[in-house]
Amino acid sequence: MHAYHIQSHCLIRGRSITVNGNTFLEMDPSTALNDFLKAAYRELHIDYPKFHKMDGLSKAIFIAAELMARISGPYSSDTALIFSNYSSSYIADSKHAADIFATEHPTASPATFVYTLPNIAMGEISIRHQLHSENVFFIFDSYFPEFLVPYIHSVLDGQKATDTISGWTEVTEQTCDLLLYHTGTGGGIPHTVAEVKRLYNEEHE
Amino acid sequence: MSELTQELKAKIITQLNLEDLTVDDLDDHTPLFGDGLGLDSIDALELIVMLDKSYGIKLSDPKEGRKVFETVQTMADFIEANRK
Amino acid sequence: MKREVFVVGDYLISPLGRGSEYHFQQLLGGHTAISPVVDPQLADHPIYAARIDEAAWLSDISDNTRYTRLEKLFILALQALIDRHGIPLDDRTLVVLSTTKGNIALLHNRESPFPEARVYLPVMADEIQRYFGFENRIITVSNACISGSLAISVARQLLQTDDRYERAIVLGGDELSTFIVSGFDAFQALADEPCRPFDRDRKGLNLGEAVAAVYLSKVPEEGAVRIMGVGSCNDANHISGPSRTGEGLYRSIQVAMREAGNPALDFISAHGTATAYNDEMEAIALDRCGLSAVPLHSLKGCFGHTLGASGLLETVVAIHSLRNNHLVASPGFQHQGTSIKLNVITQPRPRPLTTFLKTASGFGGCNIATVFQKV
Repeated sequence: MHAYHIQSHCLIRGRSITVNGNTFLEMDPSTALNDFLKAAYRELHIDYPKFHKMDGLSKAIFIAAELMARISGPYSSDTALIFSNYSSSYIADSKHAADIFATEHPTASPATFVYTLPNIAMGEISIRHQLHSENVFFIFDSYFPEFLVPYIHSVLDGQKATDTISGWTEVTEQTCDLLLYHTGTGGGIPHTVAEVKRLYNEEHE
Repeated sequence: MSELTQELKAKIITQLNLEDLTVDDLDDHTPLFGDGLGLDSIDALELIVMLDKSYGIKLSDPKEGRKVFETVQTMADFIEANRK
Repeated sequence: MKREVFVVGDYLISPLGRGSEYHFQQLLGGHTAISPVVDPQLADHPIYAARIDEAAWLSDISDNTRYTRLEKLFILALQALIDRHGIPLDDRTLVVLSTTKGNIALLHNRESPFPEARVYLPVMADEIQRYFGFENRIITVSNACISGSLAISVARQLLQTDDRYERAIVLGGDELSTFIVSGFDAFQALADEPCRPFDRDRKGLNLGEAVAAVYLSKVPEEGAVRIMGVGSCNDANHISGPSRTGEGLYRSIQVAMREAGNPALDFISAHGTATAYNDEMEAIALDRCGLSAVPLHSLKGCFGHTLGASGLLETVVAIHSLRNNHLVASPGFQHQGTSIKLNVITQPRPRPLTTFLKTASGFGGCNIATVFQKV
């Protein structure tokens, strides 16, 4: 069994984005999440208009994947995506339900409905980074590295994937609790349950 | 006619989340799909929903849709001809 | 050397009834679970769908007002599987649950007696966990329409490499709801007639509901089927439309077949949703793999598209097909309908069968292919 290392990691908590511990963007906590994510997109200085069609979950994940790619990318096309959260695609679910149960003109929007699946976010970054690998979206009641770390190792040992991007992506209408990290065989932080928990609990000023 | 095209442009930008575009950026005759604006299949479905919700026109034949949604002008013409 | 993992048990609940052997006989007899559904609570127009009539079995669960309709279905299926195989519910048993939307019918539904928190999948999983007293946290997979097959893959992955687990139960299900019907309607994906996978005149899919479960073990038993290989690759093309070249599915099949040792296939259980694009994409992917002549069916013409259950349900039927050495036909098919000709099974017929390929694709560009072989 190879030793695996975390090559880059991104934390989006509240209205703060850090990559490998360095602050990328920080905004006032009263900023609406959507505005915060839009500002982060602008800070990326890329031209990717599809971003604006995404739901909050996909936007946050997109930004994190983009930032990590700048450090430990470009990603191999065999980078598996192993994500998890609590509320699945609740933001889009709620919007779709509001649309169809509206008292006046109940109308379903295909652009909203397509995001009512949590794995769509993985599809978005697969397209952006041309990843042709395995995607698995797990739902847990809290971040569960005791399960995910061995699972990731199992996937990497199986050699169908050369790298993984993994973590916890709990994004709601106004809150964001996201840790994503890129694991491979290159140098970096050892990929263990203890280290992952340390990153997840990382405090920043 | 131009009032409708202006209205349509504003609706298209909002409905399709075309954040980086203004009404002035959208020409009446720019192809919406393919090489022009580059809209996709989900956008096409959204436009069908918009036609129904805002103008009371139901469009279920995708082939008809392709002609109707060629440009802002073709959309406006279609709406003028069919609106309830 | 990786350990081998076998499917040693299974159970199905669908509109046709309960029990896998029963389902197999129903399919051979040409029965369908799809019927016209006229229900203003579900949709503002009649649809063709496969809907379970639970009135027949509601009383079979203790304390049944505590559980939502879908939870009851899950509990019934799990109980039947556990009882039949005497599955120990200890810490060596892994439980993986596949669902796309779970209790979504409760969302913003003022008439529901259940609290909205029940919409959250971990809350739903917790109810099932506590009913059975499983020692390990239920692992929930929600990955669009490949969830069922993917859940089998996740369980297999862990049984192969993690000494903590001895066996696994993999369970999947989804139910019809306004939420789901209205969404597919907005995609103009629903046919206004019983669906016709791979057929020239196919008009779209029918939705269906079902719960399916399999029991996986590292020890083969009588009738065991070995999971030979799995491949899962994203199209990286579009979030809802399948890749026109079938890229992700093609890669998935190649990976699965390579892992399986490139066996000769006796049949393919395809995803075959009966939409214009999916079936065409699958045909292209299969052709690129040199598999377009292998006898093939889609079961969605009988069960409809059962979302989180589909990968599991269709795998179970295919396993019974293997065990009984009897090919199952592809309901709804009459005329060749994809640009590449496929060998669609039109009549059930007996034949010695050893190996099949199961494919699935879903929103988000995901795909999965799994090879199964009789022991």
